[in-house]
Amino acid sequence: MINRRDLIKGTAAIIPSAVALQMLGTKWAFAADEFSGPVDVLNYALTLEYLEAEFYRQGNGADLLNGKAKTYLEAIQKDEEAHVVALKDTIKSLGHSPVAAPKVDFGGAFKSKHSYLETAYTFENLGVSAYLGAAPALLKEKGLLTAAASIFGVEARHAAILGVLAKKQAEGGVYRTAFEKPATRATVLKAASPFLVKAQTL
Amino acid sequence: MTERQLIPNCPHREMQLMTSENENLATTEGGGTTAPLFDGLPVMKFKHEDQRRRFLRAAVVVGVGSGLVAATQHDKLALADASANDLEILNYALTLEYLEADFYTRGLKGGALSGHALDLVTPIRDHEQEHVEALTATVKSLGGKPAAKPEFKYPSGTFDDREKFLTTASAFEELGVTAYHGQVARVEDGDILAAAASIAGVESRHAAVLAHLLDGNPFPSSFEKNANMKTVLKAAGQFIKS
Repeated sequence: MINRRDLIKGTAAIIPSAVALQMLGTKWAFAADEFSGPVDVLNYALTLEYLEAEFYRQGNGADLLNGKAKTYLEAIQKDEEAHVVALKDTIKSLGHSPVAAPKVDFGGAFKSKHSYLETAYTFENLGVSAYLGAAPALLKEKGLLTAAASIFGVEARHAAILGVLAKKQAEGGVYRTAFEKPATRATVLKAASPFLVKAQTL
Repeated sequence: MTERQLIPNCPHREMQLMTSENENLATTEGGGTTAPLFDGLPVMKFKHEDQRRRFLRAAVVVGVGSGLVAATQHDKLALADASANDLEILNYALTLEYLEADFYTRGLKGGALSGHALDLVTPIRDHEQEHVEALTATVKSLGGKPAAKPEFKYPSGTFDDREKFLTTASAFEELGVTAYHGQVARVEDGDILAAAASIAGVESRHAAVLAHLLDGNPFPSSFEKNANMKTVLKAAGQFIKS
């Protein structure tokens, strides 16, 4: 089992340019340097979607919710599963192999309704920023870009509703200002690494 | 690898549908023949003839065509052809954001909301105003002229009660989402795409929250739908007076 420190160090070695640029501040257009090509972006997105789909599968299985929260998170699980299928199919259609699902460990996320919703809220906002940060690497691939954007928007819906369910304040919680913020691959890895025991990409 | 190659190969039906709508843009929106005249002079110059026709047809449908056309008529000399396309998209987005900002400003003044709904909708108004400012600044930074703010009209009673206000708001937000997603494949500049995408995500948040407040479905689809300019402007046009 790879521990978190090794994972970060190992990946940092693979993407030194991203790490260097991150220190200079977030500039949207450098994402193209973080990815070797469109398939790399799709596999990166797929890993995140695997993570989310498995998260909701386990969380909804823990029977912590009721009412609207239960209905909403079941719908979100279905969305994440649909994203996994769509990304896998798209990668295959391009003649490549989709990455395997990562081995995950969500720790104490399902201890309570509160911890479940809080972790879900974090995941969804991370997903939104991850897609936005990766988008420039798809700039020339208009069909893929439209498809990735269509997932990104749904992640933003999830993030907002989880903000409502987790009783976050409107501005700064449900919404994160008037503009979504991109995240670099390195930032996303760092945020997701506590839950990733082993991942092929990220 | 091109979009054209991708679409027939994509086995996922929903994703295939999304990508193919964008490809249809040029064929479904083109076809107009009227020359663009403004005081006897051509007012817009597009790189491709079908692009010009597409814009004019869309503009005519919405009834603010003259405003949009006049707004961009002086820009062409200063702009590369690629920017002319992106400028058109930015001014289109600006027009929709004007509508949303106006709508929420009037609606919140009407006092139909309170409590949780008021807390959640007030920032939406602020966001739409910030989108207007950001898009205006972006158009200017490209050397273009921002579209003028149209005059809007709303069916009587729109702001009288919570249900009507939120229902119309929800329709606007869902329209806005499809509008942005319909332009994703058309934007040429990376930074403009970034700006538009960062707005589009926020519109998705708004759409979800409004559906929630109406006891509707915040997640009507696993993939955001998209719509072309003509469709969007037709829907928005009923709220535009001049």
